[in-house]
Amino acid sequence: MATTATISISSDIAPGFGGISESMTLTQAGTLTDIDSTTGFQIRKLSATGAVDLVTMASELVEPKDSVAAKIYIRNIGYKGDIDKSTGVTIGVKAESIGMLYGGDWMMMPLTCIDADDITVNPENDNTVVIEYVLFYEEA
Amino acid sequence: MATTTAAVTLTSDLLSDNMSVSASTTCMKAGTTADGLDMMEYGYIDIVTGDQFDLLGSDDSTGSLGNPVSGVMANKANKVYIKNHSTDETYYVSIMLDAQAIGKLYGGDWMFIPWSATDDDKDIEITASGGTNKICYALFHQGKTLVAS
Repeated sequence: MATTATISISSDIAPGFGGISESMTLTQAGTLTDIDSTTGFQIRKLSATGAVDLVTMASELVEPKDSVAAKIYIRNIGYKGDIDKSTGVTIGVKAESIGMLYGGDWMMMPLTCIDADDITVNPENDNTVVIEYVLFYEEA
Repeated sequence: MATTTAAVTLTSDLLSDNMSVSASTTCMKAGTTADGLDMMEYGYIDIVTGDQFDLLGSDDSTGSLGNPVSGVMANKANKVYIKNHSTDETYYVSIMLDAQAIGKLYGGDWMFIPWSATDDDKDIEITASGGTNKICYALFHQGKTLVAS
């Protein structure tokens, strides 16, 4: 076993679209060697608008290697089982907004892990919302 | 209502107990629970090395790759899927958003992100390394500004 991520997308928007089902094994950059480090699952509770760091790259206990094959999974899990599609949290890298995760939405994306490229979260309102995430990376 | 569902299963043996997480979301229009995303673009292209291209353009002009994905409504609940189908693990594409580096997708890697496209500059840009990379992408969105011919 290793670290694997499988995505399945189904949609009836376009007639004939057969969906997407793809799997990837998270490996170290440019090799078939399994990725070997993770932060493990973490959560962050947010109760006010304003961008804060979800991951501060320079403050990680183990320094991730820069510009290789790191990945992060993030999900808006609502609060105490109440997943509110109207409470979105904008995910960003450094000062750049990527997009908004509404209640229940998830994302998986590669990361540079460069110290300046922190992962930020910014709720759109003051409703309490919890973000769960896990980072996979290579040690520097 | 059109229905688009994105599910992920994540497993890992890096921790003392195996991790297995499954999540699924129905992709709705921004801030609603009653109306799903109803437009999509889906493509498969070769990205040659040497230049940075707009894979998905957020403005009203046609993307430099010639794909008709421009005009996405800004600040909405758009979702983007990208997979690097290159079979050589040393090949990769660098993903950027408005000149901000996001990360690299090596051969076999995929990503799935929300894309707010907050203004005309928020293109999703791509640069290939190692050789010509084969890229599959999909954009699920809720609106598009058509470009007059």
